[in-house]
Amino acid sequence: MGSSTVTAVHGEAHPAHLQHHFVSSDQQFDAAKMGMWLFLVTEILLFAGMFVAYTVYRVWHPEVFVAGATLLDPLLGGFNTVVLLASSFTVALSIHYIQQGNRTGLLINIFLTMAAAVTFLVVKYFEYTHKFHLGIFPGEHYAYSEVSMPYVAQFFSIYFVMTGIHGVHVLIGVGLFIWLAVRAIKGHFTAEWYTPVELVGLYWHIVDIIWIFLFPLLYLI
Amino acid sequence: MAHGHHITPFRTLLQTFIALIALTVVTVAASQIHLGPLNVPIAIGIAVVKASIVAAFFMALKYDNRVNFLVLAIGLVMVVVFISFTLFDTAFRGDIENVDHRTIDQIERTEEALKAREGQGPGGG
Repeated sequence: MGSSTVTAVHGEAHPAHLQHHFVSSDQQFDAAKMGMWLFLVTEILLFAGMFVAYTVYRVWHPEVFVAGATLLDPLLGGFNTVVLLASSFTVALSIHYIQQGNRTGLLINIFLTMAAAVTFLVVKYFEYTHKFHLGIFPGEHYAYSEVSMPYVAQFFSIYFVMTGIHGVHVLIGVGLFIWLAVRAIKGHFTAEWYTPVELVGLYWHIVDIIWIFLFPLLYLI
Repeated sequence: MAHGHHITPFRTLLQTFIALIALTVVTVAASQIHLGPLNVPIAIGIAVVKASIVAAFFMALKYDNRVNFLVLAIGLVMVVVFISFTLFDTAFRGDIENVDHRTIDQIERTEEALKAREGQGPGGG
Protein backbone atom coordinates (compact mmCIF):
# COMPACT_ATOMS: atom_id res chain seq x y z
CA MET A 1 0.00 0.00 0.00
CA GLY A 2 1.50 3.33 -1.06
CA SER A 3 1.90 6.26 1.29
CA SER A 4 -0.62 8.27 -0.71
CA THR A 5 -3.38 5.75 0.11
CA VAL A 6 -2.56 5.92 3.81
CA THR A 7 -2.77 9.67 3.71
CA ALA A 8 -6.09 9.42 1.91
CA VAL A 9 -7.47 7.09 4.61
CA HIS A 10 -6.23 9.34 7.38
CA GLY A 11 -7.78 12.32 5.71
CA GLU A 12 -11.26 10.79 6.01
CA ALA A 13 -13.40 11.03 9.11
CA HIS A 14 -13.70 7.52 10.49
CA PRO A 15 -15.97 5.99 13.16
CA ALA A 16 -14.66 5.65 16.73
CA HIS A 17 -14.83 1.84 16.71
CA LEU A 18 -12.58 1.55 13.64
CA GLN A 19 -9.08 0.54 14.67
CA HIS A 20 -6.06 2.14 13.11
CA HIS A 21 -4.83 -0.88 11.19
CA PHE A 22 -8.07 -1.54 9.30
CA VAL A 23 -9.09 0.15 6.07
CA SER A 24 -12.82 0.09 6.75
CA SER A 25 -15.46 -1.04 9.24
CA ASP A 26 -16.41 -3.85 6.88
CA GLN A 27 -12.83 -5.11 6.72
CA GLN A 28 -12.53 -4.96 10.50
CA PHE A 29 -15.83 -6.84 10.91
CA ASP A 30 -14.84 -9.52 8.36
CA ALA A 31 -11.45 -10.02 10.00
CA ALA A 32 -13.04 -10.42 13.45
CA LYS A 33 -15.58 -12.86 12.08
CA MET A 34 -13.01 -14.99 10.27
CA GLY A 35 -10.91 -15.05 13.44
CA MET A 36 -13.98 -16.34 15.29
CA TRP A 37 -14.54 -19.05 12.67
CA LEU A 38 -10.91 -20.19 13.09
CA PHE A 39 -11.48 -20.42 16.85
CA LEU A 40 -14.74 -22.33 16.27
CA VAL A 41 -12.83 -24.87 14.13
CA THR A 42 -10.50 -25.51 17.11
CA GLU A 43 -13.63 -26.00 19.23
CA ILE A 44 -15.01 -28.48 16.69
CA LEU A 45 -11.69 -30.35 16.74
CA LEU A 46 -11.70 -30.39 20.56
CA PHE A 47 -15.07 -32.16 20.49
CA ALA A 48 -13.96 -34.29 17.52
CA GLY A 49 -11.42 -35.96 19.82
CA MET A 50 -14.26 -37.01 22.10
CA PHE A 51 -16.40 -38.11 19.15
CA VAL A 52 -13.46 -40.30 18.06
CA ALA A 53 -13.46 -41.94 21.52
CA TYR A 54 -17.22 -42.41 21.16
CA THR A 55 -16.86 -43.95 17.69
CA VAL A 56 -14.03 -46.32 18.64
CA TYR A 57 -15.87 -47.64 21.71
CA ARG A 58 -19.16 -47.86 19.84
CA VAL A 59 -17.55 -49.94 17.06
CA TRP A 60 -15.97 -52.23 19.67
CA HIS A 61 -18.95 -52.55 22.02
CA PRO A 62 -22.18 -51.43 20.29
CA GLU A 63 -24.42 -53.28 22.77
CA VAL A 64 -23.01 -51.21 25.66
CA PHE A 65 -24.13 -47.97 24.00
CA VAL A 66 -27.64 -49.32 23.42
CA ALA A 67 -27.83 -50.36 27.09
CA GLY A 68 -26.28 -47.10 28.29
CA ALA A 69 -28.82 -45.02 26.36
CA THR A 70 -31.67 -46.73 28.24
CA LEU A 71 -30.27 -45.25 31.48
CA LEU A 72 -30.53 -41.70 30.09
CA ASP A 73 -33.85 -39.85 30.05
CA PRO A 74 -34.70 -38.89 26.43
CA LEU A 75 -37.46 -36.61 27.75
CA LEU A 76 -34.97 -34.43 29.64
CA GLY A 77 -32.44 -34.64 26.79
CA GLY A 78 -35.16 -33.75 24.27
CA PHE A 79 -36.37 -30.86 26.43
CA ASN A 80 -32.82 -29.51 26.59
CA THR A 81 -32.52 -29.88 22.81
CA VAL A 82 -35.62 -27.71 22.32
CA VAL A 83 -34.28 -25.21 24.89
CA LEU A 84 -30.95 -24.89 23.04
CA LEU A 85 -32.63 -24.61 19.62
CA ALA A 86 -34.86 -21.86 21.00
CA SER A 87 -31.79 -20.08 22.39
CA SER A 88 -30.11 -20.30 18.98
CA PHE A 89 -33.23 -18.67 17.54
CA THR A 90 -33.21 -15.85 20.13
CA VAL A 91 -29.48 -15.17 19.73
CA ALA A 92 -30.02 -14.94 15.94
CA LEU A 93 -32.89 -12.54 16.67
CA SER A 94 -30.68 -10.39 18.91
CA ILE A 95 -28.32 -9.88 15.93
CA HIS A 96 -31.32 -9.33 13.62
CA TYR A 97 -32.57 -6.50 15.89
CA ILE A 98 -29.27 -4.71 16.54
CA GLN A 99 -28.57 -4.73 12.78
CA GLN A 100 -31.68 -2.55 12.53
CA GLY A 101 -30.57 -0.43 15.50
CA ASN A 102 -33.26 -1.88 17.80
CA ARG A 103 -31.49 -1.96 21.19
CA THR A 104 -34.58 -3.12 23.12
CA GLY A 105 -34.97 -6.10 20.78
CA LEU A 106 -31.28 -6.87 21.28
CA LEU A 107 -31.48 -6.74 25.06
CA ILE A 108 -34.70 -8.78 25.34
CA ASN A 109 -33.24 -11.53 23.17
CA ILE A 110 -29.93 -11.58 25.06
CA PHE A 111 -31.92 -12.12 28.29
CA LEU A 112 -34.08 -14.83 26.68
CA THR A 113 -30.95 -16.63 25.46
CA MET A 114 -29.36 -16.37 28.89
CA ALA A 115 -32.52 -17.75 30.51
CA ALA A 116 -32.46 -20.70 28.10
CA ALA A 117 -28.78 -21.36 28.85
CA VAL A 118 -29.49 -21.37 32.61
CA THR A 119 -32.52 -23.65 32.09
CA PHE A 120 -30.29 -26.09 30.21
CA LEU A 121 -27.78 -26.14 33.06
CA VAL A 122 -30.48 -26.64 35.71
CA VAL A 123 -31.88 -29.66 33.82
CA LYS A 124 -28.35 -31.02 33.42
CA TYR A 125 -27.78 -30.56 37.17
CA PHE A 126 -30.84 -32.69 37.96
CA GLU A 127 -29.77 -35.33 35.44
CA TYR A 128 -26.29 -35.55 36.96
CA THR A 129 -27.44 -35.65 40.61
CA HIS A 130 -30.00 -38.35 39.79
CA LYS A 131 -27.24 -40.48 38.22
CA PHE A 132 -24.86 -39.91 41.14
CA HIS A 133 -27.70 -40.94 43.47
CA LEU A 134 -27.99 -44.25 41.59
CA GLY A 135 -24.22 -44.77 41.72
CA ILE A 136 -23.70 -44.04 38.03
CA PHE A 137 -20.24 -42.52 38.07
CA PRO A 138 -17.67 -42.48 35.26
CA GLY A 139 -14.93 -45.10 34.92
CA GLU A 140 -13.97 -47.30 37.86
CA HIS A 141 -16.32 -45.48 40.24
CA TYR A 142 -19.35 -46.87 38.40
CA ALA A 143 -21.51 -48.65 41.01
CA TYR A 144 -24.97 -49.21 39.55
CA SER A 145 -25.80 -52.88 40.05
CA GLU A 146 -28.95 -52.95 37.83
CA VAL A 147 -26.86 -52.56 34.67
CA SER A 148 -23.39 -53.96 35.17
CA MET A 149 -22.32 -55.33 31.79
CA PRO A 150 -18.64 -55.02 30.85
CA TYR A 151 -17.61 -51.63 29.44
CA VAL A 152 -20.81 -49.83 30.56
CA ALA A 153 -18.56 -47.72 32.82
CA GLN A 154 -16.70 -46.56 29.70
CA PHE A 155 -19.99 -45.45 28.18
CA PHE A 156 -20.57 -43.24 31.21
CA SER A 157 -16.99 -41.94 31.10
CA ILE A 158 -17.73 -40.78 27.55
CA TYR A 159 -21.16 -39.46 28.57
CA PHE A 160 -19.88 -37.42 31.52
CA VAL A 161 -16.82 -36.05 29.72
CA MET A 162 -18.74 -35.05 26.56
CA THR A 163 -21.78 -33.54 28.30
CA GLY A 164 -19.52 -32.08 31.01
CA ILE A 165 -17.26 -30.20 28.60
CA HIS A 166 -20.34 -29.17 26.62
CA GLY A 167 -21.87 -27.94 29.89
CA VAL A 168 -18.75 -25.89 30.62
CA HIS A 169 -19.24 -24.26 27.21
CA VAL A 170 -22.85 -23.44 28.12
CA LEU A 171 -21.63 -21.95 31.42
CA ILE A 172 -19.07 -19.82 29.55
CA GLY A 173 -21.95 -18.80 27.27
CA VAL A 174 -23.95 -17.55 30.27
CA GLY A 175 -20.94 -15.43 31.27
CA LEU A 176 -20.66 -14.05 27.73
CA PHE A 177 -24.38 -13.16 27.66
CA ILE A 178 -24.05 -11.31 30.99
CA TRP A 179 -21.14 -9.37 29.47
CA LEU A 180 -23.18 -8.62 26.33
CA ALA A 181 -26.19 -7.54 28.40
CA VAL A 182 -24.07 -5.10 30.45
CA ARG A 183 -22.57 -3.60 27.30
CA ALA A 184 -25.98 -3.47 25.60
CA ILE A 185 -27.44 -1.60 28.62
CA LYS A 186 -24.52 0.83 28.46
CA GLY A 187 -25.46 1.41 24.83
CA HIS A 188 -22.20 0.16 23.34
CA PHE A 189 -23.87 -1.59 20.41
CA THR A 190 -25.33 0.11 17.35
CA ALA A 191 -26.40 -0.93 13.86
CA GLU A 192 -22.93 0.19 12.74
CA TRP A 193 -20.96 -1.74 15.37
CA TYR A 194 -22.19 -4.92 17.06
CA THR A 195 -19.22 -7.27 16.48
CA PRO A 196 -19.24 -8.87 19.99
CA VAL A 197 -22.92 -9.80 19.59
CA GLU A 198 -22.18 -11.43 16.22
CA LEU A 199 -19.17 -13.38 17.54
CA VAL A 200 -20.86 -14.60 20.74
CA GLY A 201 -23.81 -15.60 18.53
CA LEU A 202 -21.52 -17.75 16.38
CA TYR A 203 -20.02 -19.34 19.51
CA TRP A 204 -23.48 -20.09 20.86
CA HIS A 205 -24.60 -21.74 17.60
CA ILE A 206 -21.56 -24.07 17.73
CA VAL A 207 -22.52 -25.04 21.31
CA ASP A 208 -26.01 -25.80 19.97
CA ILE A 209 -24.63 -27.84 17.04
CA ILE A 210 -22.49 -29.97 19.41
CA TRP A 211 -25.63 -30.76 21.41
CA ILE A 212 -27.53 -31.57 18.19
CA PHE A 213 -25.05 -34.45 17.81
CA LEU A 214 -24.77 -35.40 21.49
CA PHE A 215 -28.52 -35.78 22.06
CA PRO A 216 -29.25 -38.58 19.55
CA LEU A 217 -25.84 -40.27 19.94
CA LEU A 218 -26.06 -40.54 23.74
CA TYR A 219 -29.78 -40.54 24.59
CA LEU A 220 -31.56 -42.13 21.64
CA ILE A 221 -29.52 -44.85 19.96
CA MET B 1 -22.14 4.12 7.05
CA ALA B 2 -21.72 1.92 4.02
CA HIS B 3 -22.57 -1.36 5.69
CA GLY B 4 -23.39 -4.27 3.43
CA HIS B 5 -24.32 -6.68 6.23
CA HIS B 6 -27.02 -9.13 5.34
CA ILE B 7 -29.97 -8.89 7.72
CA THR B 8 -31.70 -12.26 7.85
CA PRO B 9 -35.48 -11.63 7.87
CA PHE B 10 -37.48 -12.59 10.98
CA ARG B 11 -39.56 -14.95 8.84
CA THR B 12 -36.48 -16.91 7.70
CA LEU B 13 -35.19 -17.20 11.28
CA LEU B 14 -38.59 -18.43 12.51
CA GLN B 15 -38.83 -20.97 9.68
CA THR B 16 -35.33 -22.19 10.54
CA PHE B 17 -36.34 -22.66 14.18
CA ILE B 18 -39.53 -24.53 13.21
CA ALA B 19 -37.59 -26.78 10.81
CA LEU B 20 -35.09 -27.63 13.59
CA ILE B 21 -37.87 -28.50 16.04
CA ALA B 22 -39.57 -30.66 13.38
CA LEU B 23 -36.30 -32.52 12.72
CA THR B 24 -35.84 -33.07 16.47
CA VAL B 25 -39.28 -34.75 16.53
CA VAL B 26 -38.25 -36.83 13.48
CA THR B 27 -34.99 -37.97 15.12
CA VAL B 28 -36.82 -39.01 18.33
CA ALA B 29 -39.49 -40.84 16.30
CA ALA B 30 -36.87 -42.58 14.12
CA SER B 31 -35.03 -43.84 17.20
CA GLN B 32 -38.23 -45.51 18.47
CA ILE B 33 -38.36 -47.72 15.36
CA HIS B 34 -35.87 -50.53 15.84
CA LEU B 35 -33.88 -50.95 12.66
CA GLY B 36 -30.82 -52.47 14.29
CA PRO B 37 -27.54 -50.91 13.17
CA LEU B 38 -29.42 -48.68 10.67
CA ASN B 39 -30.59 -46.44 13.56
CA VAL B 40 -27.09 -45.00 13.91
CA PRO B 41 -26.61 -43.63 10.35
CA ILE B 42 -30.21 -42.30 10.36
CA ALA B 43 -29.62 -40.40 13.62
CA ILE B 44 -26.27 -39.03 12.39
CA GLY B 45 -27.83 -38.09 9.04
CA ILE B 46 -30.62 -36.07 10.68
CA ALA B 47 -28.08 -34.42 13.02
CA VAL B 48 -25.94 -33.42 10.01
CA VAL B 49 -28.99 -31.88 8.29
CA LYS B 50 -29.88 -29.97 11.50
CA ALA B 51 -26.29 -28.74 11.95
CA SER B 52 -26.20 -27.62 8.29
CA ILE B 53 -29.44 -25.66 8.76
CA VAL B 54 -28.02 -23.93 11.86
CA ALA B 55 -24.77 -23.10 10.01
CA ALA B 56 -26.51 -21.89 6.83
CA PHE B 57 -29.24 -19.69 8.35
CA PHE B 58 -28.55 -18.97 12.05
CA MET B 59 -24.79 -18.57 11.46
CA ALA B 60 -25.64 -16.95 8.09
CA LEU B 61 -22.98 -18.88 6.15
CA LYS B 62 -25.38 -18.89 3.20
CA TYR B 63 -25.14 -15.10 2.91
CA ASP B 64 -21.63 -14.71 4.29
CA ASN B 65 -18.17 -14.16 2.86
CA ARG B 66 -17.20 -17.51 1.29
CA VAL B 67 -13.88 -17.60 3.15
CA ASN B 68 -15.69 -18.43 6.43
CA PHE B 69 -17.28 -21.46 4.79
CA LEU B 70 -13.82 -22.48 3.57
CA VAL B 71 -12.44 -22.29 7.13
CA LEU B 72 -15.28 -24.50 8.35
CA ALA B 73 -14.93 -26.94 5.44
CA ILE B 74 -11.18 -27.43 6.06
CA GLY B 75 -11.93 -28.04 9.73
CA LEU B 76 -14.60 -30.62 8.86
CA VAL B 77 -12.23 -32.44 6.47
CA MET B 78 -9.84 -32.76 9.42
CA VAL B 79 -12.64 -34.19 11.58
CA VAL B 80 -13.35 -36.83 8.91
CA VAL B 81 -9.62 -37.67 8.69
CA PHE B 82 -9.43 -37.84 12.50
CA ILE B 83 -12.32 -40.30 12.80
CA SER B 84 -11.71 -42.43 9.70
CA PHE B 85 -7.94 -42.86 10.14
CA THR B 86 -8.44 -43.85 13.78
CA LEU B 87 -11.00 -46.43 12.66
CA PHE B 88 -8.54 -47.83 10.07
CA ASP B 89 -6.58 -48.93 13.14
CA THR B 90 -9.13 -49.73 15.84
CA ALA B 91 -11.85 -51.31 13.68
CA PHE B 92 -9.46 -53.84 12.14
CA ARG B 93 -7.37 -54.86 15.13
CA GLY B 94 -6.90 -58.63 15.32
CA ASP B 95 -7.54 -59.20 11.62
CA ILE B 96 -3.86 -59.47 10.74
CA GLU B 97 -2.29 -60.61 13.99
CA ASN B 98 -0.90 -63.90 12.61
CA VAL B 99 2.51 -62.60 11.79
CA ASP B 100 4.49 -65.52 10.40
CA HIS B 101 7.86 -65.97 8.71
CA ARG B 102 6.23 -68.28 6.13
CA THR B 103 4.69 -67.03 2.90
CA ILE B 104 0.89 -66.97 2.52
CA ASP B 105 1.15 -69.88 0.06
CA GLN B 106 3.02 -71.95 2.62
CA ILE B 107 0.49 -71.12 5.35
CA GLU B 108 -2.40 -72.05 3.07
CA ARG B 109 -0.76 -75.36 2.16
CA THR B 110 -0.22 -76.18 5.84
CA GLU B 111 -3.86 -75.29 6.61
CA GLU B 112 -5.10 -77.47 3.76
CA ALA B 113 -2.95 -80.36 4.96
CA LEU B 114 -4.33 -79.96 8.49
CA LYS B 115 -7.92 -79.86 7.18
CA ALA B 116 -7.34 -82.96 5.06
CA ARG B 117 -5.97 -84.82 8.11
CA GLU B 118 -8.92 -83.72 10.28
CA GLY B 119 -11.33 -84.89 7.54
CA GLN B 120 -9.81 -88.40 7.70
CA GLY B 121 -9.94 -88.61 11.50
CA PRO B 122 -12.99 -89.68 13.56
CA GLY B 123 -15.65 -86.92 13.84
CA GLY B 124 -13.41 -84.43 12.03
CA GLY B 125 -14.43 -80.99 10.77
